[in-house]
Amino acid sequence: MSLLSVAGITKRFGGITANRDVSFDVAPGELVGIIGPNGSGKSTLFEIISGFYRPDAGEVRLDGGSLTGLSPDRVCRLGIARTFQKLRPFAGLTVVDNVMIGALTRTHDVRHARARARDLLDRVGLAEKADAHARTLSTGQRKRLELARALATEPRVLLLDEVTGGVDQRSIPGLVQLVRDLHRGGLTLLVIEHNMRVITAVAQRIVALYLGEKIADGTPDAVTRDRRVVDAYLGQAYTQ
Amino acid sequence: MRGTWPAVAFFAAAALGPIVVRDAFLLDGLILILLWGASAAAWNVAGGYAGQVSLGHAAFFGLGAYSAALLGTRWGVSPWIGLLVGAGLATAFGFILGFLSNRLRGPYFVLATIAFSQVLLIVASRWRGFTSGSEGIPVPFRPGFWTLGIADKRGWVYLVLVLAALLYLVQLYLERSRRGYQLAAVREDEDAALSLGVPARRLKVAAIAVSAALTAACGTLWAQYVGFVDPYYVFSVDLSVRFCLAAILGGIGTPLGPFLGAALITILETSLRARFGGIGAGLVGIYLIIYGVVLIVTMRFAPQGLLPWFGEHLRRRPHPGTAP
Repeated sequence: MSLLSVAGITKRFGGITANRDVSFDVAPGELVGIIGPNGSGKSTLFEIISGFYRPDAGEVRLDGGSLTGLSPDRVCRLGIARTFQKLRPFAGLTVVDNVMIGALTRTHDVRHARARARDLLDRVGLAEKADAHARTLSTGQRKRLELARALATEPRVLLLDEVTGGVDQRSIPGLVQLVRDLHRGGLTLLVIEHNMRVITAVAQRIVALYLGEKIADGTPDAVTRDRRVVDAYLGQAYTQ
Repeated sequence: MRGTWPAVAFFAAAALGPIVVRDAFLLDGLILILLWGASAAAWNVAGGYAGQVSLGHAAFFGLGAYSAALLGTRWGVSPWIGLLVGAGLATAFGFILGFLSNRLRGPYFVLATIAFSQVLLIVASRWRGFTSGSEGIPVPFRPGFWTLGIADKRGWVYLVLVLAALLYLVQLYLERSRRGYQLAAVREDEDAALSLGVPARRLKVAAIAVSAALTAACGTLWAQYVGFVDPYYVFSVDLSVRFCLAAILGGIGTPLGPFLGAALITILETSLRARFGGIGAGLVGIYLIIYGVVLIVTMRFAPQGLLPWFGEHLRRRPHPGTAP
């Protein structure tokens, strides 16, 4: 039933355990949020799911097939796309060329890829920037570019690392709306987010991590009221 | 400058050269421009398009030069076969270097490439029984196309012109094809490229291997044209730098750039040496100073290379008001 399955993932860096026996499932069409204080292992988990890190134990499965040990490009071609917390546009290429790189994973036809890239830029609201160099974009625009680029690979599951992080307040509603639209369109999403107002509004389910371990998993309401989540992350003020 | 008309003009001018010019000195210059341009273009495949800057490409050039020269002198094999053998050997070594590039990045990769060409230099200069050591190998002249014994310089112009045009087309492919775009992504940010499904490692290795094979082909033709293979020349770091320099001067990662850069270097070098060099000249060595100054000035005013500089300035001309 689950599309993405994270089963018993453990990852150590020397003496530090970044993820300890983390398990959860994501159903098709679901939008699952991941929260937790800095250093709780959220980004490490993303690196493992997307194939950049190899877990010390456990397995990631997409639609039943194991992804463990596959290279990131294979993982992407199998249907998992991601954005980076620290944005990584191809700075020297134009915006449309950036998105084309993603599209070329699914088509061999350069002209077709370009057309698709323009469609996607339209969808994320960057159409008028298509021919500008990526290095000229603002942070908010770069977030949109990363989103378009990842979408161009036609993912079955999209991993978003901090959609609103580092973006000015005015740009947040637009980005949130974009994520909502993608979800409504049937896409399965796994979203790391620090902004509690944003994540509780968009996520159907939230997984909370603390010191590498899963401490809660449930509806936004249940998770934000969970004793351990409040103690570890949200603080007393949040519940009052 | 995305259009191909400057390239068409360049190659057409080169093709007209032998018809207009009879002077052997000028034709020799034209042949060398095309050969060095092709070598720089082959370097550009790895250094420019894949972003794997190598200062050891002389190794591949030397492999091509030696393969044909040795097979020809020792067993009477046609240099065309030698070219294929050299390209095959270079591909194999290119794969090794490519795998290294996945382990070593930036300056460490550059150092590994230099070491690699130095190892081949040592082998070529010490393995006297087989390579004739540091004496080098004279390439015997046997008339005919199959043996590349072409006495007429005009014939050589067209031969290397075919090679140069082939190299240009390879680069044009890297400019416009799916693989080319993917390679550009790898050059810009390898991890981001991987996350978008680009098989970055495989592409890098393939680009370096292709670059190596093409460099070897240039080496074969160069050796057959010049008629002598000297290990200290064909495996020198100087030669590697020359490929790299021509590409950077002309415009790294552009298809015509390496040819323009090679033209600038070759013309400067030969004309300055003819004017100031030689025994009894008053200012021995001044040509090297002038040469260096011209290179510095070029990079000062056209840091992206000549081709992008021309592109920008030709485009600006219609709007004189916006010029700084």
